[in-house]
Amino acid sequence: MKVPNASCVRRLGLRSMAAARTRNIVAVLAIALTTVLFTSLFTIASSINYSFQQENFRQAGGDFHATVKRITWEQVEELRTDPLIKEDFARLFVGMPSEVPFNKSHVEVSYMEPAAAPHYFCEPVEGTLPREGTDEAATDTHVLALLGVKPEVGAKFTVTFNLDDSTSHPIPVTRTFTLSGWWEYDSAVVANNILLPRSAAEELCALGSGDSYSMTGVWNLDMMFKNAMSIEEDINQVLQNHGYQGEDPQGEHYLDTGINWGYSGAQLSNSFDPTTAIAIAALLLLIIFTGYLIIYNVFQISVTNDIRFYGLLKTIGTTGKQLRRIVRQQALILSLAGIPFGLLLGFIVGNKLTPVIMSQLSYQHAFVSFHPLIFIGAALFSLLTVFLSCARPGRMAARVSPVEAVRCTEGGAPKKAGKRERGRRAQSGASLPRMAWANLGRSRSKTVVTVLSLTLAVVLATMTYTFSMGFDMNKYLTHKADVDFILGHADYFQTGRGFHSTDEEVPESVISDVNARGGIEESGRVYGGVSAIKQFVTEDWLRQCYGAYNRPEIVDQVIESTDRRPDGLLETGAMMYGMEDFPLSLLDVLEGDLAPLSDPSQKAIAAVFNANDYNETRWDSNWTRLGDTVTLRYVSKTEFFYRDTGEMTEDVDAAIESGRPWGERAVEYEDVDYTVCALVRVPNSISYRYGVLGSDKFILGAERFKRDTGTSSVMTYLFNTTDEAESPTESFLEEYTNSVQPLYDYESRATYAAEFEGFRGMFMTMGGALSFIIGLVGVLNFVNAVLTGILTRKRELAVLQSVGMTGRQLKTMLVYEGLYYTLLALAVSLVMTVCLGPLVGGTVGEIFWFFTYRLTVAPIAVILPIFLVLGALVPLWTYRSVAKRTIVERLREADA
Amino acid sequence: MSVLETRDLRKIYGSGDTEVRALDGVSLQVEQGEFVAVVGTSGSGKSTLLHMLGGLDRPTSGTVSVDGRDIFALRDEELTIFRRRKIGFVFQNYNLVPVLNVYENIVLPIQLDGRKPDRGYVEEIIETLGLESKLRSLPNNLSGGQQQRVAIARALAAKPAIILADEPTGNLDSATSLDVMGLLKATGQKFSQTIVMITHNEDLAQMTGRIIRIEDGQIVVRG
Repeated sequence: MKVPNASCVRRLGLRSMAAARTRNIVAVLAIALTTVLFTSLFTIASSINYSFQQENFRQAGGDFHATVKRITWEQVEELRTDPLIKEDFARLFVGMPSEVPFNKSHVEVSYMEPAAAPHYFCEPVEGTLPREGTDEAATDTHVLALLGVKPEVGAKFTVTFNLDDSTSHPIPVTRTFTLSGWWEYDSAVVANNILLPRSAAEELCALGSGDSYSMTGVWNLDMMFKNAMSIEEDINQVLQNHGYQGEDPQGEHYLDTGINWGYSGAQLSNSFDPTTAIAIAALLLLIIFTGYLIIYNVFQISVTNDIRFYGLLKTIGTTGKQLRRIVRQQALILSLAGIPFGLLLGFIVGNKLTPVIMSQLSYQHAFVSFHPLIFIGAALFSLLTVFLSCARPGRMAARVSPVEAVRCTEGGAPKKAGKRERGRRAQSGASLPRMAWANLGRSRSKTVVTVLSLTLAVVLATMTYTFSMGFDMNKYLTHKADVDFILGHADYFQTGRGFHSTDEEVPESVISDVNARGGIEESGRVYGGVSAIKQFVTEDWLRQCYGAYNRPEIVDQVIESTDRRPDGLLETGAMMYGMEDFPLSLLDVLEGDLAPLSDPSQKAIAAVFNANDYNETRWDSNWTRLGDTVTLRYVSKTEFFYRDTGEMTEDVDAAIESGRPWGERAVEYEDVDYTVCALVRVPNSISYRYGVLGSDKFILGAERFKRDTGTSSVMTYLFNTTDEAESPTESFLEEYTNSVQPLYDYESRATYAAEFEGFRGMFMTMGGALSFIIGLVGVLNFVNAVLTGILTRKRELAVLQSVGMTGRQLKTMLVYEGLYYTLLALAVSLVMTVCLGPLVGGTVGEIFWFFTYRLTVAPIAVILPIFLVLGALVPLWTYRSVAKRTIVERLREADA
Repeated sequence: MSVLETRDLRKIYGSGDTEVRALDGVSLQVEQGEFVAVVGTSGSGKSTLLHMLGGLDRPTSGTVSVDGRDIFALRDEELTIFRRRKIGFVFQNYNLVPVLNVYENIVLPIQLDGRKPDRGYVEEIIETLGLESKLRSLPNNLSGGQQQRVAIARALAAKPAIILADEPTGNLDSATSLDVMGLLKATGQKFSQTIVMITHNEDLAQMTGRIIRIEDGQIVVRG
């Protein structure tokens, strides 16, 4: 039945709200706190996600959605008219420098339309982009540093770079530019840019050979669509609109396109991380529950107190549905007040907490996201919590029996006469504690919810403390080598980069800089493999390796395309270490003896096994056992061929570009047989820190390694210093890797300790903040319960006084009530901590391998005095406001 | 046909030793326009009877028909709606909604029903009860007699089939009681309302058209 009575019901709701001021304040605060929790959670999650995406954009080079590559200026003009494109900017590629000092940096010389600069993170912080018709150029501080030029607008700098750099016949050119502007180097950005004016760029391009493989002189058109939902479809549609296609490279009117993987990559890897999803879901539930406990309690108490009012309304014909609507509407209005307040506060809290977490994630940039969805989401979740919470009180109001309400008015007998009787009987001993206890029993649900709400905060605080104390530094360090300093290329230390080629080697000049400092007691080099080294394994082994991460079809494909020796063994890679004596001494020997490695005359090799996070050896991580023979094939010349035709090709880049299946095989090589002398584990901190499927890891002695591989690229330089030298060395390395040799980085015992403390600090801050807010909610709930408990009993308390209870006795009774709440909460917390602690501790131990569970109740002991004070003060303070009136006044007033 | 009719109405609380027969087979009929007083001592069952007549409480057995309709055949929600349309209440404690002003209190049952108040009719009631100057006041600012007049106005405003008055003068002094009784009777006649009033006051009962006496849950004299 739908009747137009909404306005009348609304008026009833609004007016009755005005009468419940205290309730309103408590409810608004409760809703605001709940919203704070939601908003901070969403802000943090969204900021992490946003930073992750930004990091990807920097690695991808820019934040545009897609690019049409290798087109002419005419095609640029033609495509950019497309209505699907929201924003576009063209870029003309000129060349790349490759000689010293640019041999280790990826620098691109190009012209960019001004609108493109911010999308490529090339916005000058000082000066401007180069002006047309001048010899100006703009670049970043990294390029300038490599050139030894101070970043000052107007400075001259000379760069030699290659036109047709991607072809076999690059054309070097040298130009001197005037610096028009510069921006800060961003280490997350892979490519550095030197930007020229268009005319200068076109002039240079005209010097190129026009080779069809050359990038020089080609335009790229980057574009943004309305949103990132369907980039691939959008760009194909754009091509189609103009008679092109981007799918078949051999087909007609083909244009090469690229989709920014920063968009797809970010979304994929983030949304499919189940641990994060579960953690967020668990936190959401916890917040909903916290909010429910208090908002439910506030409404339940208020409806109970107003039950006469609801009964009266029912008597004169208000339906249950209308009563429910009154309650719901009040909740909505209180939400309107509480939610915006909570959103604001939550955003601030979230912003404060985000950097703490971000510092633990290896992002180079922490961005605070200000996405509207954060606020919409938090508001919706808060509303959901509010409506969940007031559903039961609403039902209670709706179910009120009109007769009971009428009875109330007749005899003045309260609704819960039965329970009260029990309370009275308990008084027979006239003991104040027993009376107070009986009073708590009158409204059991209120007592339970209030106690639970307080308990939640205490348990959470105890857990936070237990966990952060349980993070075990010693366990954490077991994965690290027992060495003071590790020096390596910055990429080596960075997750996702790693040591792959001579680009990441540590030059001897850097090592001698360090050695020149003195104070070094022990030191040694770890060499890494930079040449093609193969080994031979059984098909079963390789299948097992790939099968762990791939579907069977993929494994079949891999096996099929792998070269086979006449004896049936398959050729696969080997990740090689060459180690001097000091690093060898840091290894964890499982079986055998390392001594033969130090003797270059022996053909000895050590097989490397991995450990899981619990420091248990994974025996399936290397195929060899002690005494086995390992044949390594050192390849000095490789040839490439197309698998479909068998045709040979010299140009591997062309093979990759063609999209045809291709393979490689060794044409010149040397096979060496080694005997496995030891099975070892390499501590994670001095290992490759990454793995390649199917490539087992082996260690050779340093001399043997250099002789057999013909390479000597230092992956890491490890050294211990004297105790006195430790801290000066630390500051030296910090300074050295920051300003003198920024390409290199180091880790030290102090770094690990700081890393560990940082992690623990994050845990403490997060858990502390969460416990604090939930604690506030609990205390608010408690204050509300005591406050309403006393206010609604005003008359009853006056009656007690009129029959001879002294003010002092009355206060004592009320204080007992308050203390029962808080002490009960502590008792329940204690029980829960003792019972649940080991259970949760075990789970946490499974997630964080360096966690040891130790039962602690210290936080409860700390909270005890706070709760004692609260339990006594809140009732006293409330009663004081009540006691301002005389007994007679109060007796009369309650009649009205 | 009777506006109000009960048949063999029983309400029994508890069972065995503690069984209390609050109503024990009450059958009565009230005709359109009648002003009936139900008289009995405290605990005689008269309030229980009134609750049954008003559909506030369900009987153990027996039926109550209002306007020919068996009200306990209705579901709770339907009964509430039926009640706000067909039955007006006047309570000893007035039971006005404290947060609404006099006028809003009077038209509340009509508005709850989603109807528009019949302005002329409501104004006539207000005038008859002498409440014109108090329409914007909140109930707590009125005297007992004034509050009860508002309650009577509220009961009349929805044009119910019957008005049930439960000790309407119980909280008033004797002069005001007579005043309210007079108004109740006058408005009943003027708007040809059927009124059933509960009272323990014989004098007031004498002012009505018929007295039903109730004792131990049973009707003892018909007068």
